[in-house]
Amino acid sequence: MKKFLFLSTLLFGVLFFSACKDEEETKDPGTLEVNFDNIAVINNVQQQLSLVTPGSTDYAYTNALGQKFNINLLRYYISAIELDGPNGEHYHDHMEATASGSKGYYLVDESIPASQLILLEDIPAGEYNKITFTVGVDSSGVVNGASGGSLDPATCHMFWNWNSGYIAVKYEGQSDVSNGGVSGAETVTGDNPHGMAYHIGGWKDIPGGVFVYNNKRLSLTFDTVVKVESKEAPELHMVFDVIKMFGSHHNIDFTGNHNVHKPADGVEVAHNLEHAFAYDHIHQ
Amino acid sequence: MGKRIFGDPMLSRDNSVACNNCHVKAVAFADPQHALSLGVDERQGIRNAPGIANMAFMKEFMWDGGVYHLDFAPPNAIENPLEMDEKMAKVVWKLNRNSTYPAQFRAAFPEMGDTITSPFVLLALSQYQTMLVSATSKYDYYKLGKGELSANEMEGLQLFKQKCAVCHSGELFTNQEYRNNGLDTAFADEGRARITESAADLCKLKVPSLRNVELTDPYMHDARFNTLEEVLDHYAAGVKQSATLATELHQGDFIGIPLTASEKKLIVDFLKTLTDYEFIQDERF
Ligand code: HEC
Ligand code: HEC
Repeated sequence: MKKFLFLSTLLFGVLFFSACKDEEETKDPGTLEVNFDNIAVINNVQQQLSLVTPGSTDYAYTNALGQKFNINLLRYYISAIELDGPNGEHYHDHMEATASGSKGYYLVDESIPASQLILLEDIPAGEYNKITFTVGVDSSGVVNGASGGSLDPATCHMFWNWNSGYIAVKYEGQSDVSNGGVSGAETVTGDNPHGMAYHIGGWKDIPGGVFVYNNKRLSLTFDTVVKVESKEAPELHMVFDVIKMFGSHHNIDFTGNHNVHKPADGVEVAHNLEHAFAYDHIHQ
Repeated sequence: MGKRIFGDPMLSRDNSVACNNCHVKAVAFADPQHALSLGVDERQGIRNAPGIANMAFMKEFMWDGGVYHLDFAPPNAIENPLEMDEKMAKVVWKLNRNSTYPAQFRAAFPEMGDTITSPFVLLALSQYQTMLVSATSKYDYYKLGKGELSANEMEGLQLFKQKCAVCHSGELFTNQEYRNNGLDTAFADEGRARITESAADLCKLKVPSLRNVELTDPYMHDARFNTLEEVLDHYAAGVKQSATLATELHQGDFIGIPLTASEKKLIVDFLKTLTDYEFIQDERF
């Protein structure tokens, strides 16, 4: 019956759906708090990240090539979140980008704990076992012009002026093997001898176009279901592993180009995002 | 209000440079004084400031098309160290502390809330710039059946259609595409390739609109030509071969556009009919 309902919404639209709905026992829509924990997995143990002051030569992390590094700044956009359930439940977050504000675009910043909690509201009651989201901001957040809220170009520090659009993931820090010389960064200056900046962007998903598209649409399945309804307050915990960002599909060599500011230079790190984000656990 | 912001040097780091320092109304909002634009501390930019008429009809902005929406053109100037060298956040802060801007913004944008935020500053600038429509030149009156072109100008128009309109097409005199029109063999400015990151686009620049072209000298992205005559000489005899040269400029064995001396003169006569005196004198701008 539920499957049939789902199909019929697709086929006949909302009116038909609401007509049938009365037959079911109704539970009210609920919320889901999605947590993004930025971590480093070291010897199979998850560690919370710690940020250093720019220029620091304390290196807590090591990439797959054995190169040590640390982190001044880590920030990324999560947008266009969808949830799906085994019985056809479906939810997509409301998206809006206007001068007055933006909805559905979340800027997760390691230095701002509150930014790591995303509260999804008005989710149809039911069971969900999959989350889908975009890392980055797609054309819908750019083509209509300047927007406010998390997209405000004056305050987000994630906007490329010369190639207008949003950086998807911004990392800045130091590595003992980097020879510095970084430009155009927020926390790293050219005279920082070990500085590194990886600004990963490229949002033009134009079919047949020549543009490098570095945003990633990821779908992650849970090992259980999360029950959503008005009487519950479930939490979903996702993790983002910086070690995998620098080493999974590709091993990023910090002695190479560590001053990344254009789409073509960010392709490998962008590809690694597929492994860096993972489902961790659910608190019902 | 957009007009006020456009003319306000508060937008630059040391309060010395306004948008209209480089985009001057008297010359259809181009830069009459500096080949390569001059920003704060007299710093020289890398390209010539184009006129900003008819922005409402353009798909992409800047010589390389890197800006996708008119709203995002100002941050490019404001935050460029070679132009206004200021942070958008600082501009917003300055505007909020001003004695008259906040009330003016709240009146113009009731949906804004109490504090000025950057998207509304950008919106105000875009609203002003989209008003800057130039469509009252001698050529426009001719097209509307309300005026005449001289015999020479008519002949120039016909020649222009044959020889130039493949790229400078339509009523805006641009197909809004990117072409290498053969200025150099070695590329100093990556042009469109800076945005597409494709070697096939090296040194391709946006085909500029030719409206008010008589006023917007010097010409080309790097301001290398001072007169329209020099531009025509370039097309007739100066076009240089390179890997990305526009195919339109390379027909058979001939490189460039075949033009006699009198044809060049006639085309220049026609181009001058695109000068819009009503536009540059319009009190509203
Ligand atoms: C220091 C000189 C300078 C200042 C000040 C300046 N501009 Fe520009 N402007 C330029 C140059 C140079 C270009 C071309 C840049 C390029 O193509 O890379 C340009 C391009 C533009 C364009 C794109 C035009 C087109 O045809 O694609 C717009 C729109 C624009 N400017 C608006 C503004 C606004 C609004 C301001 C004030 C916030 C401003 N400019 C301030 C020099 C300046
Ligand atoms: C292959 C396409 C193409 C053709 C054909 C062409 N142009 Fe251009 N034109 C361009 C491009 C591209 C630029 C900008 C190049 C640059 O700035 O480096 C330009 C620039 C100009 C400029 C300078 C405008 C400014 O504001 O700086 C003038 C004037 C001009 N063309 C006139 C003509 C005339 C007249 C003809 C015909 C004889 C012609 N063009 C044919 C592509 C073309």
